[in-house]
Amino acid sequence: MDVNADAGAKGPGIPARSHRGILRIKESILKSIWFLCAIFAVVTIFFILVFLFWDGYPIFAQVGVWNFITGMTWNPTGNPPAYGIFPLIVGTVLVTIGAMVISIPLGIGSALYISELAPARVKAVVKPAIELLAGIPSVVFGFFGLVVLTDWIRVTFDVPSGECWLAGSILLGIMALPTIISVSEDAISSVPREYKEGSLAVGANHWQTIARVIVPGALSGITAAIILGMGRALGETMAVLMVTGNAAIIPSPIWNVLSPIRTLTGTLGIEMGEVAIGSMHFHALFGVAVVLLLITLAVNLAATAILGRIREKHMPAGGKKKKNILSCAIARSGWMGGVRNATPWIGAVLLTGVMFLFSGAGAAVLTLGMTGGFITTRRRISSRLVQKIAFALIALSIVVVLVILGIILWDIVSKGIGYISWDFLTKSPRDLGRAGGIFPALVGTLYLVIGAIAIALPLGLGAAVYLTEYTREGKITRMIRTGADLLNGTPSIVFGLFGFAFLVLYLNFGVSLIAGQITLAFMVLPTIIRTAEEALKTVPCSVREGSLALGATKWQTIRRVVIPPAMPGIITGTILSIGRAAGETAPILFTAVVFSQRFLPTSLFEPVMALPYHLYILATNVPGAQGNQYATALVLLMLVIAIYSVAIVVRHHYQKTLHW
Amino acid sequence: MADNPRITGYFVLGLAALLVLTLCLCGCTQAPADVHGNPASTATGGIRSITVTGSTTVLPIAQGAAESYMDDHADADIKVSGGGSGVGIQAIGEGTAAIGMSSRDLSADEMAKYPGLQVTRIADDGIAVIVNPANTVNSLSLPQIKAIYQADITNWKDVGGPDQAIVIIGRDSASGTRSFFTETVLEKEDAAPRMLEKNSNGAVTQTVAQTPGAIGYVSIGYLDRSVKGLDLMVNGNPITPTVANVKNGQYPISRPLIMITQGSPQGLAKSYLEFIIGPAGQKIVADEGYVPLS
Repeated sequence: MDVNADAGAKGPGIPARSHRGILRIKESILKSIWFLCAIFAVVTIFFILVFLFWDGYPIFAQVGVWNFITGMTWNPTGNPPAYGIFPLIVGTVLVTIGAMVISIPLGIGSALYISELAPARVKAVVKPAIELLAGIPSVVFGFFGLVVLTDWIRVTFDVPSGECWLAGSILLGIMALPTIISVSEDAISSVPREYKEGSLAVGANHWQTIARVIVPGALSGITAAIILGMGRALGETMAVLMVTGNAAIIPSPIWNVLSPIRTLTGTLGIEMGEVAIGSMHFHALFGVAVVLLLITLAVNLAATAILGRIREKHMPAGGKKKKNILSCAIARSGWMGGVRNATPWIGAVLLTGVMFLFSGAGAAVLTLGMTGGFITTRRRISSRLVQKIAFALIALSIVVVLVILGIILWDIVSKGIGYISWDFLTKSPRDLGRAGGIFPALVGTLYLVIGAIAIALPLGLGAAVYLTEYTREGKITRMIRTGADLLNGTPSIVFGLFGFAFLVLYLNFGVSLIAGQITLAFMVLPTIIRTAEEALKTVPCSVREGSLALGATKWQTIRRVVIPPAMPGIITGTILSIGRAAGETAPILFTAVVFSQRFLPTSLFEPVMALPYHLYILATNVPGAQGNQYATALVLLMLVIAIYSVAIVVRHHYQKTLHW
Repeated sequence: MADNPRITGYFVLGLAALLVLTLCLCGCTQAPADVHGNPASTATGGIRSITVTGSTTVLPIAQGAAESYMDDHADADIKVSGGGSGVGIQAIGEGTAAIGMSSRDLSADEMAKYPGLQVTRIADDGIAVIVNPANTVNSLSLPQIKAIYQADITNWKDVGGPDQAIVIIGRDSASGTRSFFTETVLEKEDAAPRMLEKNSNGAVTQTVAQTPGAIGYVSIGYLDRSVKGLDLMVNGNPITPTVANVKNGQYPISRPLIMITQGSPQGLAKSYLEFIIGPAGQKIVADEGYVPLS
């Protein structure tokens, strides 16, 4: 309340001299707070790396880094033990590539449909539906994959076992979709209307406008979306280990998508729990985590570098523009040309992905060839036909996404609804969860999510404010942004490992609520930073300039002019984070959860039950619990829907009051 | 451009409050850790509380016993969690739990690192070799199973079954069940690298149940109608994987399940362990499909 009074008094008028001094101190204090928030991500990633190295060092010392990475055999309990992780690295890379082939075309196609083609009423349904897809927990995906997908693959391709690379890639592709769609859609929607109008006014048709103006204009956001999606795919543990078979072999031949495969994350997920702590095998697993982290680091750095080059290459002469509060416009107009040639290929990849999904690799290669031929001859085809084909593909991609969502939801709802009752929601589990309810798990999940968001939101928003409003583009921002990207690419199981080694053991928190909350907060922090930053960037510079010109201080401008219109974007980011935090199993597996407890936790230092973990145990350890397992999945889903609905209403409210 | 200073004000205020809260939390970490120094058994407000953690094989017994024990003792709160044998031993060694569960013996490393650990045997367990119910094979000998797991036999027709490729399924390399299987059936040799690895008994059962050509191994507590447990040929006689056959020593692959405490168990941990090895607890062991102590 007094913040308002304060702002009102000093407001846009010209402050007295002494006031000005106080204001300046206040400004610099605020600035340093936001700086600390921003630097937090960098410190955390550095800390995680150091900690993992510390625990992984003995294996590197004994086996040697080179032998560890290039060794062809992973058999840590063999006689003699072999610690070669090359097959695991290959597995991780292949599964991620497969997932991206599926999710990038579908994701960008869907984002284009939602932001450009969809009638308002359709958009109002489709967009939340996609966000819902993000709320489906990985353990549910894994279970669905194990029961439905692998069986389908086994029958369709007539192979002895459906647990393979293809199953992992499809599942990961689906899981990366909501991230890619949501973030690219935000980026596409934030391309200024004038660009679109200008393009249409000079006679370009809608598709030409999309391909040559809107997509290039949103490229930085789309790239961010792909990096985020890739991070999700690289780091996913639970779903992958349930469907890829986990045989530590390299597919033969290398493109055999039906071969079983084992990823680095899967190795951590299935072996960490049982390993004797302090043994060479234990250190080898930390070595695996280090390699995993370094791979994500390399991928993210490469992506950042590529993005930077695109920007630099197409910057107008006269040097780099600095992104700060006064000139936030990056030279959008210049770097469209480079993308123009790539656009048809995006379409090609899109079609290929769809074909891959439906009829396997052979048809996909054929389609790619045909589309390639089409692209080379397309000069002779009328632009109207091109537009028709492009729109058909875009519509197809959104249909595919919605069908996938429908299948998964139908499976869970139809099999779970019969087991839901009031008692199920309000009672404790009995007989290992086969009977009774899930009340403590429900409450535990709420505690975990609330705690994680309470820690991550202020930090993330502070970091985003610092990055967009206070700094020039330079070494420090690059470092912070890289830190956030790396943190985002950090696999959830690595957070779990770190939380276990650092919070639970080193700080002696024990397996506790607070350890889980902090671990989850680390995990969602980059999502919040990224999305909040995107949202703040969309606020036009002219608005900031207007506020500053009226004599408002920087902080007043940020607080009252910049943040309010950015709220929808910030809320979207928070929604995504809540969905992710509520559904993740890997980070809380060793840090926060117990399978059962009688009373609700009364302090932050007690362990809790959590819905995803409950489901994981029911799905993998309790025979004959299929009813309650589906019911738990359904409740988890409904919980996420409820959270989302509230957030969507709030966002809608803000959007209604926002007119540029 | 709509700007509502009031809402923004509250927002900033909330933000600041959260920041302060976060800082406080970070600041207080040391103090509660001291309070929490001995989390093995905490007594607050008349409620006695312990945490039991470790092997997923032992988890059904621990959980069943905890539910039953708490029915009789209103003031007891027994928290059970999984994670694996290694986690259980670690937790007990570091003092983050009162009781650890394990389906394997302590390794030499672990015994050296945590010298004071005391082991209580709570049940026995047989490892059943399972196939899909549609498979016509009913029994295998140990050498045949070994040949299958080392990919010397790759088709069911070579062991009297249908002409179908064998999909071998095993446990992760850190599993207690796997190390026991490797020791007794594979005679400490490695399985073929193309073996699919699963991280729990339930996941093995699940996969075997839906893969016609699959073979796997699980704790007999996890045998259910969705899979077929093979008889093992011992000296020409088929031995069915049942509790009775494990108990009388005829079934060749069995092992003890253990609970671990730091020194002698005290308080709630003590009476809970006594409950498990007592008649009511051993009945739960039998109900869950494991082998009670004789």
